[in-house]
Amino acid sequence: MGQGAIYLPILFLGLLAFGFAAFSVVAATFTGPKRYNRAKVEAYECGIQPTPQPEGGGRFPVKYYLTAMLFIIFDIEIVFLYPWAVTCDKLGVFGLAEMVLFIVTVLAAYAFVWRRGGLEWD
Amino acid sequence: MNDDVVKAGLPLLQVTTVREGMFGASGSGDTSGFGGLVSVVPVPVASAQPFGNYFDEIYAELVAALPLFKSSAEKAFDKIVVAHDEMTIYVHPTELLAVARTLRDEPGLRFELCLGVSGVHYPNQTGAELHAVYHFRSITHNRRVRLEVVAADSHPHIPSIVSIYPTNDWHERETFDFFGIIFDGHPHLTRIQMPDDWQGHPQRKDYPLGGIPVEYKGATVPAPDERRSYN
Amino acid sequence: MGIEEKLPSGVLLTTVEGLAGYARKNSLWPATFGLACCAIEMMASGAGRYDLARFGMEVFRASPRQADLMIVAGRVSQKMAPIVRQIYDQMAAPKWVLAMGACSSSGGMFNNYAIIQGVDHIVPVDIYLPGCPPRPEMLIDALLKLHDQISETKLGTNRKRQLEDLENAALIATPTIDQVGLMR
Repeated sequence: MGQGAIYLPILFLGLLAFGFAAFSVVAATFTGPKRYNRAKVEAYECGIQPTPQPEGGGRFPVKYYLTAMLFIIFDIEIVFLYPWAVTCDKLGVFGLAEMVLFIVTVLAAYAFVWRRGGLEWD
Repeated sequence: MNDDVVKAGLPLLQVTTVREGMFGASGSGDTSGFGGLVSVVPVPVASAQPFGNYFDEIYAELVAALPLFKSSAEKAFDKIVVAHDEMTIYVHPTELLAVARTLRDEPGLRFELCLGVSGVHYPNQTGAELHAVYHFRSITHNRRVRLEVVAADSHPHIPSIVSIYPTNDWHERETFDFFGIIFDGHPHLTRIQMPDDWQGHPQRKDYPLGGIPVEYKGATVPAPDERRSYN
Repeated sequence: MGIEEKLPSGVLLTTVEGLAGYARKNSLWPATFGLACCAIEMMASGAGRYDLARFGMEVFRASPRQADLMIVAGRVSQKMAPIVRQIYDQMAAPKWVLAMGACSSSGGMFNNYAIIQGVDHIVPVDIYLPGCPPRPEMLIDALLKLHDQISETKLGTNRKRQLEDLENAALIATPTIDQVGLMR
């Protein structure tokens, strides 16, 4: 607890900053006039009437989702590879065998995606 | 005025309209001196072959390439005028697409650039009021040529050459906006510079200037086309 | 709530007005509304030699929602008019309009079918700046006069009274056409 007390001023400063920001926003809601017109509520499109957007935000092709999902999976695989890479010599053959098993598992998933056409964009 | 105005070095002209004075007051109300202005509106008279320069080659290539004209070479075009080192071919609206395609595709012609359509309004030439003028430039042969297409006010339709020269898109819209020439086959012929619901075609000769009187301290000055009239 | 419009008058309000006016005029962000040739002079006044940054105005906001001042620099055509109005409506109060140049003040040399004869046909103008185009020094002079006007703007009940006074003064003022005899 004694060591933590060093960081107390930072906490107070943070609370002060947050409090100032919150006060500004709240005070503006109270003091400012409310002059709405239709143009203020509409989207800004360089002064012309905004192009009507489809209901529900418009449909997206599913390939974007697939690409994102594949990226996440292989990115996390790389994240797991990094700690092994830095302590590879200490882990020895056992670590190598474990890692190869891990990579082979993900490789199976990769082969599956490849065969099923998940990497085709069009 | 004479029928032909002949000046040294210029081709024969045929006068159709003589305009006297500028717009505004006429008679004793005019103090600017513009009332005495006499401006002659000539219509160029056809030139005869040989045209000179590279114009003969253009004419020969056109007549040779266009299948319609191979039989009657004399009546190929309405008129060809060569003046001031420039060639103008008056094309009938029905032949315009064929001529434009030939100008673009024939190896001896190869007019790659179409610099746009301009409109001209001759209110006194009944039956041929609206002219559309196309300028072409050949980069391969370093040549220029001008096409002029005539349409009557009662039927202001000219085929659109957007399918051949796509950049003519906005130029044709502008000519439609300002002169009322309707280009058949244009993908989206709408007004381009005036607001979409504007009535009238502003650059015609009979369209008023549309100015308002300007208020100064103690006096009003009328719009430019109504000044100097001491009624 | 709109407390700003309901502040009671008094000595405290005068101080607040002074502070608010000072803050508003010293950081007046213009909206980029250069339409024609006057825009070049507006750009020149924002550049190094005739610096607008010394007034806090070098940030020309592209979005009207972040701008205070709309400098209508150039002629407004019939097609552009609803766009000018839309941009003006999308600005947040407090907002001011400066009609820069002859064309936006009164139609300029273009007295014809295509040009609006003065942008005050569409938006309320606070200060007119003649010229074709006005030099950057003239634009800065107009902006400084606008700064004076802004720093003297009142708040709350004082503002209501100020608006009434302005209205009454405008109603009894001689119309332009009746201001004769000034050329002697």
